[in-house]
Amino acid sequence: MQRKLMQLSDAARLVPSGSCITIGGSIIRRTPVAFVRELIRQGVTDLHVLGFPAGITTDMLAGVGALRRVEAVYEGLFQFGMAHNFRRGVEAGEIEVRDFPETAMIARFRAASQGISFMPTKVLLGTGMAKHNPEQIREITCPFTGEKYHAVQAATSDFTVLHGYVGDEFGNVQWPVQRDSDDIDFIQAKAAQRLIVTVERIVPHAEIARQPTLTYVPHQWVEAIVEVPYGAHPGSCDGYYDEDEEHMQYYQECAKDPARFKEYAATYIYGVTDHWDYLQKAVTVKRLSQLSVR
Amino acid sequence: MAYAEDYSPNELLVATAARELRDGELGFVGVGTAGRAFTLAVGIPIAAARLAQMTHAPNFTIYWGNLLSPDLQRIPPKLTQHHITTWPAAAQLSNTGDKCDMLARRQFDVCFDSAPQIDRFGNLNITAIGEYRRPKARLIGCLAQTDHLAFVSRPIVLTDLRKRTFVERVDFITSVGYLDGKDSRIKAGLAPGGPWKVITDKAVFGFHAETKEMQLESLHPGVTLEDVLESMSFRPALPQHIGQTEPPTQEQVRLIRQEIDPNRILLVA
Repeated sequence: MQRKLMQLSDAARLVPSGSCITIGGSIIRRTPVAFVRELIRQGVTDLHVLGFPAGITTDMLAGVGALRRVEAVYEGLFQFGMAHNFRRGVEAGEIEVRDFPETAMIARFRAASQGISFMPTKVLLGTGMAKHNPEQIREITCPFTGEKYHAVQAATSDFTVLHGYVGDEFGNVQWPVQRDSDDIDFIQAKAAQRLIVTVERIVPHAEIARQPTLTYVPHQWVEAIVEVPYGAHPGSCDGYYDEDEEHMQYYQECAKDPARFKEYAATYIYGVTDHWDYLQKAVTVKRLSQLSVR
Repeated sequence: MAYAEDYSPNELLVATAARELRDGELGFVGVGTAGRAFTLAVGIPIAAARLAQMTHAPNFTIYWGNLLSPDLQRIPPKLTQHHITTWPAAAQLSNTGDKCDMLARRQFDVCFDSAPQIDRFGNLNITAIGEYRRPKARLIGCLAQTDHLAFVSRPIVLTDLRKRTFVERVDFITSVGYLDGKDSRIKAGLAPGGPWKVITDKAVFGFHAETKEMQLESLHPGVTLEDVLESMSFRPALPQHIGQTEPPTQEQVRLIRQEIDPNRILLVA
């Protein structure tokens, strides 16, 4: 096994402007927010994002003008409301978006994970998504039954970035027994071309090797693994910490107004040197202990 | 079984939705964003599912988030992440793909959906108002609503009756109801399905057996036909006899207030 442990800034440097990246997690849970803040700090722009339910990471990229296109099943911030930056960008014609329902987006990642170029599905029959996206959704006929299907294009991206729970220096990432599985990180990892995983904690390999059935991302698939505690803040990491409701509400207040979001980005993204500096500014020790669910 | 005299509009919706749920069935509840959208998409469906379990359908069960058969006797005090992570449930399959496979294999009987636009033929729009590529208002996308309307036998739509919501034709078809009416849904390649009921704050609708047009079924107590027609941008089919929506019973109201949602987590707005 090869050692793949990296610093956050070095891992982010792998991603050039103009890349297509798959971002894992779900809305405001276990998404690689710290990684995305680092990408923004490094000036990476013109990104094409593939997501399952997209959420805060996509909205942040939209807010700083680094987002070109999104393909996902949802864009919003769950109980905190609409994704204001994203919405504004789409309404202004600055961000291109192509929508896919869950079954279709999963089919697309499954196709990529199996090394095939499309997957058939019936979920898009009659929909606006099919009508407006002939580039990625095309009608086909089953060669056995003659039934009508759509072929949906494989979801292939240049990079895939996930946030996980624990991993070792070789890139073996494990999930805990008690977790929230309402996402497709596992399929996205399998579908990746170049996979970067940030984790809450790096643990000794011996700890991973004790329970190999908990490894959902094996070292073989990973290019870089980075230790980023609270790497999903202000979102949650199931089993580790809850979403920071106060910060999320503040984020939303700012995101409603482009000028105020500029201030937010100046303080919490551009105005910090690294993730540790971000934590210093965004939370207190008391707050972290309130958010912790361990 | 005495009817309640004092009940809230949301309690009426919970009781009305619960009556549509049958013993032994599996229903899907999605996620909602905040406020009223949350109450319609999540709060009322979960309360209705529990009310059905406590009354006529003890074996009714739901899939919520990625939780299959969560214990509805213990609705979490708050729906932040950790309460969802630790909510006791029969199963949490390894990823959302498994749920989608269950949907595509038609293993769900009912589902609850809400939308800011629904049309005469029960098509739903949660994606964009105006032009798709340069929308007047960008909405949330699709989630699994498209999947529900494609694959679930009896989708139940919960939404408030407003002129801008009930439109002749949705700006964008996120989820196919009866498409252009008659047999157009089947001709498009979809299996039978389409919205079963549309439950609103003023009335309940079904769909005409042949034309598949939205058809008024019952008016909520105190609501007139004029109120309903003035709240819609199209004229629904009207049956010969328009009934009144059955109010909740005193027992149903007591269960909702004291046992199902005592902390007002579900019926928030």
